[in-house]
Formats: sequence, structure tokens, C-alpha cells
Amino acid sequence: MKKIFFTIYILFLIAIVGFSYLFIDPNLIYLKHLYTGFAFQKKLYTTLIFIFLLIISFSFYILFIYLYVRGKLFKKDLIFLLSVSIFILPFSYPAMLSYDIFNYIATAKVAFFYHENPYIIMPIEFTHDPLLLFMHAANKVALYGPLWILLTGLPYLLGFGSFLLILFLFKAFVILFFVGTLLIIWKLTKNTFSVLLFGLNPLVLFETVISGHNDIVMVFLFLLAIFFLRRNKMILSLILLLASILIKYASLALIIPFGYLFYSYFKNKKISWDKMYLLGAGAMTLVFFLAPLREEIYPWYFTWILAFITLIPKHKFLLLISIVFSFSLLLRYIPFMLLGTYFGPTPVIKILVTFMPIIFTTFFYILYFLFKKKSLFKIK
Amino acid sequence: MKNKLPSILLLFLFLFLPNLVIADSPYVLPYPSAMPGGIVYKIHLAWEKLSQYWYFGDFGQFDYNLKESDKYLVEAKTLFEYNQYLLGYNALQKSNMYFMLTLPDLETAKNHGKDITDKRILLSQAADKHIEILEKLKMEVPLTFTWQPEKSNATVLNIKSLIDFGIGIRQKYL
Repeated sequence: MKKIFFTIYILFLIAIVGFSYLFIDPNLIYLKHLYTGFAFQKKLYTTLIFIFLLIISFSFYILFIYLYVRGKLFKKDLIFLLSVSIFILPFSYPAMLSYDIFNYIATAKVAFFYHENPYIIMPIEFTHDPLLLFMHAANKVALYGPLWILLTGLPYLLGFGSFLLILFLFKAFVILFFVGTLLIIWKLTKNTFSVLLFGLNPLVLFETVISGHNDIVMVFLFLLAIFFLRRNKMILSLILLLASILIKYASLALIIPFGYLFYSYFKNKKISWDKMYLLGAGAMTLVFFLAPLREEIYPWYFTWILAFITLIPKHKFLLLISIVFSFSLLLRYIPFMLLGTYFGPTPVIKILVTFMPIIFTTFFYILYFLFKKKSLFKIK
Repeated sequence: MKNKLPSILLLFLFLFLPNLVIADSPYVLPYPSAMPGGIVYKIHLAWEKLSQYWYFGDFGQFDYNLKESDKYLVEAKTLFEYNQYLLGYNALQKSNMYFMLTLPDLETAKNHGKDITDKRILLSQAADKHIEILEKLKMEVPLTFTWQPEKSNATVLNIKSLIDFGIGIRQKYL
């Protein structure tokens, strides 16, 4: 039975890869032979397929959690599932849900091809550059930390000017950090369940392995900082935290939990790592909800919080909320996919699909406790 | 006479309005920043030196030089308005120096295969605006100014010559 599930899962991953190519931008000259225009012309069908794929992906996720909880999913199964996800999904078209990967490439091009400062010079200033045809933030200077820009030099230069090679090298580069993150989670918890919760979460897979968001690099570095902190390597830990901040400034909020740790360490107080992870999740949640001050809540920001929540899977309510929120955040893509605009009813629908599932889940969870006074599911 | 009135009005518009429109470049100069004499100005000078390295690259250097030229032109204008001729003179010298560096930056960028069309238009507009300011200044400032420092020889500042020199540079870059 498990083998059948695994085979269907592999086929499902291949279906996602195929579906992603329906979103190829009409101006993406490098993939013009694969352009169908389906996602832009058949918006309703595209949206319905996307919702269907989301439901299936979360069904698989819950199934894997269920199998694990029932003692029917082992470490080797998890490695197999992660491996197939990591080997199949990277072949997807990365700009299915977000154009950020094009921004990363453009910023790297400004720095390493044009030899200009990407914090001053915008990609749009290089008129006639083919990237301008399909990227969506050409009129912005670099938004990310300097370490990220430096690191992107590697996939950019290794691409030797071939756009498609650069595109997939960027993805491969991000996936390396994703694998690193899974290893660190394993090292920190020695719990395969934590690895499963993070590594097979559809939001993480969509945003990291498909879209190639750099948030995972930041996550990897701050988890590595925690790893070395647990081994009392304070200086190295601080350097890694700084490196994480220099990838994306969001991890600056982790100064709060790290401050708590350093205080406990120097006062010779016993460090509660669970408390630290909760503090970490709290600090990143704060930044997450402050995001609308700058732009809006983007689904991939939730990976910052998920990284901490999966370290403490015994907090069942947090876990449940994180799964529901992962799902609802991916629903945020629906209004634009269906209506093709960021204006009109789109912002309101986004808010509704993001928060209504959480409100309902919390409400039913409370009701469940009031009437049953039992936990929703037991974790071994 | 009544029939000729619209024609006279049109003629009036053609004769006077176009001149007024052409004189106004769409280029926008910055607000005056810190003025000489205070600690803030020294910090500004230090920042100016440091940011020169931050603005690396051909376009970066072009942006930097144009930005500094704009800043010092506004500074010179403000100082001249307050009859601070020596300081204004120095500021205008700096503005001219930075402006002279802009076109070579663009030429280097062109040699590096960068499309400079938009930047060249920007530079023309900036030159136009600068000339507009300098022409106004020329009418307001004295031809020369003798600066007499304490315990030292007097220096004659040829303000008008400097303004004319500045206009000349900018006209070349139009």
C-alpha cells in the first residue's frame, strides 16, 4: 500500500512540474517554444487545477504525518520522499508563483556582469537587456543583504551567460541550502518527524524547491548559528547569525532569542531550548506580521517561522496552526491567478483566504477541547 | 478689431509662451543640504568622500558625479543669495568639477557596451537646468568680489568668469 502511495506521489510531483510550465511568461524568449499561454488565457481552469494540486499536496503531507505517527513511515521512507521531491521539483518552471528568481538573477547581473552597485543602479537602467522583457521588479534596487548578492555570484558566473543554465543553477544553489537546513534540523532534534514536518511541507517545497526563494539561505544560517550555540561556540554562532542577517534582514529579529540565550549562558542559567525555539518563532512571527508595512505578507516568509515550529513538534496546536497556515498562505495566489490583477477584490480575498482557515481551525480546536478534552492526535 | 483679437492672442501665445516652456528643464535639483561652517557640513564632506567608493561602476560614478554637481550648484546658489561669495565661489568650482566628470563616465560606460541613451538624455536635461540656474545667478551676483582674509593678501574672485565657465561646460554636454 505504501509503495502505491509513493508511486502516486512521484507521479504527482511530475504533474506539478508539468503544470508549472503553463505559467511561462510570454516575453520569456528563452522558453518561447514551451509557451502555451494557458495560465493567462484559461484563468479559471488554471486556478481550479492549482487548488486541486494544493489539496492533493496537503493530503499527501497529512498522510505522511499520519503514517509516521502510526509508526508506518520510517527514516528510509522519509529520505526516499525527500530525495524524489528534491530531484523532481527543481525541473519545474520557477516563476509559476513568484518572479523573485528573475530579480535575483538581475541583481547578480548588475553586480557581476555590469560591475555596478545593485543598491544604486536598477536593472531598468540597462535598457535593451533581455531580462527587462519578463522580470517584474526592474525598477527596484537590490532589496536583499550584501552576503546574498555576493553568494549569487557563484551560480551567476557558473552559468557562463546562458540564461537557462543560470536560472536552474540559482535553483540548485537554493536547494543546497534546503538540504543543509534539513540536515541541521536533524542534528538539532535527532527527530525524523521534525525533518518530515519541514521538508515535506508543501509550502516549503513550493516556495523553496520550485520558486527558489532565498529565505531558506537565511533560515539555514540562523539554524546553523543555533547548532553551534548548542555546542558553546559563541563567536562562530554570532558570525553565522550576522551572516543570516546579511542574507535577508528579517533575521535581525532573532537578536531577541539569541540575547536570551547569551544572557542565560553568561549567567550560568540552564538554557531551555524549547523556550528558545518558541522565542525564535515569536520573533519571526513579529517580522512576518510587520511585512505589510513594507509590502505585503508573502507566503514564503512563513518558512522562517516553520523552521522553529518544526523543532518543537510536541506543541500540537502550533503544529496544527502551522499546517493550516501553510495551506492558507498558498491560497493567496488564487485571486491573482483567477483575476489577473493585484487590485479590485484581490487584496480583500487574499486577507480572507489567509486568515479565515486559521480562525475556523482555532474555533474548532477550542470546541474540540471543550467537548472532548483530548488532544487532536498523539505523536510518538 | 474683434475678429483680429483671437489671432493677436494666438500670436502672443506663440511669441512668449514657448520661450517660457523651453527655459524650464524637467530636471529637478535637490533641496539645499548642509551649508559650510558647521560640524554637519564636515560630516557631509566625509560622507561625500566615502560614498565615492559606494558608487562604483560607470553608471554609479556618473550618478555620483551628477548628484554632487547638483548638490554643489544648489549650495552655491544659496550661498550667493546670502552674499557669501567666497563660499559660493568654492561650491560652484566643485559643481563644475563634478559636472565635467559626468560625460567621461558615460563614455566609459559606452565603451563597456552599456546603452547610455537614457543617461545621456538625463545629462542634457541636467545641463539645461544648471544653465538656467547659472544664467539667473549671473544677473544677481557682482562681476568680481575681493575677499580680504585676516593677516593675508586680498584675493579677487572672478565670479562671473566662473559662472560663464560653468555655463560653457554645461553647454558642451547639452
